[in-house]
Amino acid sequence: MTTEALTTNAREASLRPFGKPSRLWWLTVIALGLVVLTGIAAWVIQLRGGMGVAGYSDQAFWAIYIADVVTFIGVSYGGAVVSAILRLTGATWRAPLTRLAEGTAVVTVLIGAALIIPHIGNPIRLWELVTRPNLSAPVFWDFVAVMTYTFGSIVFFALPLVPDMAVLGQEHGQQLGRRRTTLYARVSRGWVGAPRQRRVLAGALGLVSIMIIPLAVSVHSVLAWAFASTARPWWHESIWAPQFVVAALYSGVALVILVVAGFRRGYHLEGLITPRHFVRLGFIMATLSATYIYLTFADLLPGSYVGDRGTAAVFTELLVGRLAIWFWMFAIVGGVLPLLLVALPWTRNVGGMVTAAILVVPMMWLKRILMVVGPASYDTVTGVFGRYHPTWVPIAITLAATAAIPLMLMLLFRVVPLLSIDEIEEIEEMQELSDLEKNATARPQTAPSEPAANDDRLVGASDKAHRVAGATGVLLLVALMGMLGIGSAHPAQAATSPSAPAVTLTGVEAGGSVQLTATLTSPQGRPLPAAEVAFLLSTTEFGTPARLVRLGSATTDKTGIARLKYAPKVTGQQGFAATYTAVGAKPITSGTTVAVTVARSLYHPAPAKPLASVGNVLVLALFAIVAAIWLTLVAQIWRVRRVCRVVQQATVGSA
Amino acid sequence: MQSHPTHPEEGGPVGPPSGATPEARRGLSRRNLLATLGVTAAGGALALVSFQDDAQAAMTPAMTAMATKAKASAHAWCMVIDLRTCDGCKGCTMACQQRHGLRDEQTWINVYEMKDAAGGTFNMPRPCMMCEDAPCMYICPVGANVRTDDGLVLVDTEACIGSRACMAACPYEARYFNWTDPLPQKRMPAPSTPQMPVPEKGVVGKCVFCADRLPQGELPACVSGCPMGVLFIGDLVTDIAVNGMGKTVVLSEFLRANDAVRFKEELGTNPRVYYILGHGQNLGG
Repeated sequence: MTTEALTTNAREASLRPFGKPSRLWWLTVIALGLVVLTGIAAWVIQLRGGMGVAGYSDQAFWAIYIADVVTFIGVSYGGAVVSAILRLTGATWRAPLTRLAEGTAVVTVLIGAALIIPHIGNPIRLWELVTRPNLSAPVFWDFVAVMTYTFGSIVFFALPLVPDMAVLGQEHGQQLGRRRTTLYARVSRGWVGAPRQRRVLAGALGLVSIMIIPLAVSVHSVLAWAFASTARPWWHESIWAPQFVVAALYSGVALVILVVAGFRRGYHLEGLITPRHFVRLGFIMATLSATYIYLTFADLLPGSYVGDRGTAAVFTELLVGRLAIWFWMFAIVGGVLPLLLVALPWTRNVGGMVTAAILVVPMMWLKRILMVVGPASYDTVTGVFGRYHPTWVPIAITLAATAAIPLMLMLLFRVVPLLSIDEIEEIEEMQELSDLEKNATARPQTAPSEPAANDDRLVGASDKAHRVAGATGVLLLVALMGMLGIGSAHPAQAATSPSAPAVTLTGVEAGGSVQLTATLTSPQGRPLPAAEVAFLLSTTEFGTPARLVRLGSATTDKTGIARLKYAPKVTGQQGFAATYTAVGAKPITSGTTVAVTVARSLYHPAPAKPLASVGNVLVLALFAIVAAIWLTLVAQIWRVRRVCRVVQQATVGSA
Repeated sequence: MQSHPTHPEEGGPVGPPSGATPEARRGLSRRNLLATLGVTAAGGALALVSFQDDAQAAMTPAMTAMATKAKASAHAWCMVIDLRTCDGCKGCTMACQQRHGLRDEQTWINVYEMKDAAGGTFNMPRPCMMCEDAPCMYICPVGANVRTDDGLVLVDTEACIGSRACMAACPYEARYFNWTDPLPQKRMPAPSTPQMPVPEKGVVGKCVFCADRLPQGELPACVSGCPMGVLFIGDLVTDIAVNGMGKTVVLSEFLRANDAVRFKEELGTNPRVYYILGHGQNLGG
């Protein structure tokens, strides 16, 4: 196929969705639209009735919606991989896929971000994330990361539109219709394809594709940390962030396969998108599948082996308990089968790859549900699992979000070109040049559909069967107690005294403590030795009348004096009392008030965690990084716009 | 008298320099570009500096609270729960639910049935632990958890967005969400306060130690509702604790003499609830 033919093909193919839509197109849009509307209606019902109508309870406080958020933001990673990584590695075969992949990324990240709304109990207050953020909260950084990644995805999607819209607007204006012509002229204003413009655009795109990768990694890492930063079994795992990232890439590549297959069939792009593309995407997917199976194994093995109480309970539930059927379904249908479909030569074709992708996307959603619901429904105090029964409401909302992906893509590609025309043309030109140079040398890939060699080694990873022993040895720390109460039981005796003795209490503050002195005299006025006097503190902290707190007791000496030293806890006037209960008589009490000036409370607040100050520095560093990312992204738009303007002026000036 | 916390003096509004040069709009030279970037960077730095105060306020609630508390706070409320005498009647739970207008499943103080070493069971009431280093305070995306000077962790239900991150973070499962419309409320003070929250759909709730009662010298509903005198409300500063049966003790001695422990001490949350265990009882986690 010559360059010219392919180029014409790419331009013509991009114009196909702009024609009068077919009956099938309308039917699909209406059907998908109805599903989306049902979901919105379900959300309104949930708003009115509360999240209880979605089957949530205190035993399942996070469930399907957060799994949806993770899944939908996850599938947007396909765009990042296919476009950014392949661009950076110079994989030229990506060209016909990039626009579809990037469009999918933008659409799914928007849907994923929107799914936070049904997840939140009080969505009307979501703006508080901006007005009163808690900078130590992972969920706040989720918000920052998702917003930044969304903006990055939009820039990554929008920048390559400039040359495409210029080409279509200038050379195929009559096929565009009035509105698209206006839009295209506005977006591509000034673009003439001058070398300087191309250089600037390539530079900007290169920079954004470098940036989009850490951005994508950051989003799913922070999403994982929203779980991992809690003390819940299975969530509190260091592997969660990388595992989330790989899961996102895995499901993202699968979704790209599905989207590409759908548009290829719908708009007859078989000439541009060949089985070779599917097989290559399939190889990426298989690599990620093997990695994800490995990470899942690594996630589950140590916890099962050691068998902490909570972790063992959750893993037992997951691997052999109530959730086992779902987990093993994921492992086989979502992990091993796709790997086999790619590995076996006779399924390594478009149908096989699409089948694998169809398996992967819902199974990865299922895995996220398991990861959310298992630990969330585990009561960390009792060790009992709560029940979660999703109602039709969250299912309708999830289906609506799913239907919104093709719907939004179909509408999006009514407006923007389906294919990255400029990229295709540029790569074709490059290849033509290199063909001329290397005419003599044999090219490694002559036949497009030739299966690549050595891919059978991918199968090696598939035999990682999970043989996790349910090691559930619970370590119980037995604390032996059994103490006497401090209540003092006075021995009861028979004798009674005819007349009551007297007690007088004095208190003096000296050297940071209060010296309480009780003088006990017999009814005859003589000192009463060897008698136990109780000392009490009077408090009104817990209401009036004042309560008396027993501080301790002392025995009178020969002079009838008992002493107690009390270290006051608070300053100010404090009442004290001394009580003597003669055998068989009513207690006699004497009170005094001491003006305490020096007090020392025994209470010391817990020391701050040593890493709290590091956290402060981290917050500042993160803000600086986020600000730099936004500025850089804006600068790339500004750079491309500027070179359009400058070169146009130069062209006009020279003309 | 309480001294006002010093706020960094906020200068006047830092507006953009008035009268943008028309030259800048035409050819953007390299110098202009650098200047623009410089201004932007300065703006970013300003934004960062203004965020820094927020960061310090939000990042280390424990630290800031501690700094003020060390001098200012007159109380450090805590609870002591004597499991030796708890018979599991759930009088505390019912008194709490009645006072706060809660649904049956919203057990702000929940009585768990636990297994002891001998294979028998014992009862363990669980209020909010009022952690001094509370995970819920760190995790809330909008900082809707507030910690009073007296060390009570309370929920600002006017701010709660219902993310339920605190429910995930709480190691004691002490938080309950209003999944549906609350019960019809009677005798509630009109404005909901963190100290006495009125249930509201879509926000989280939890035990507040009856924070509105404590300053009045009244006992929390659960403490006065416990017929066995299991629950003590105490003050770590004044070193006094009382129960609903009129028993008043020196807190530190009571804890020491009875070998009181805290639930999930190993998590470093520094809970303000102490348990006194009977023979063979353990909180196991």
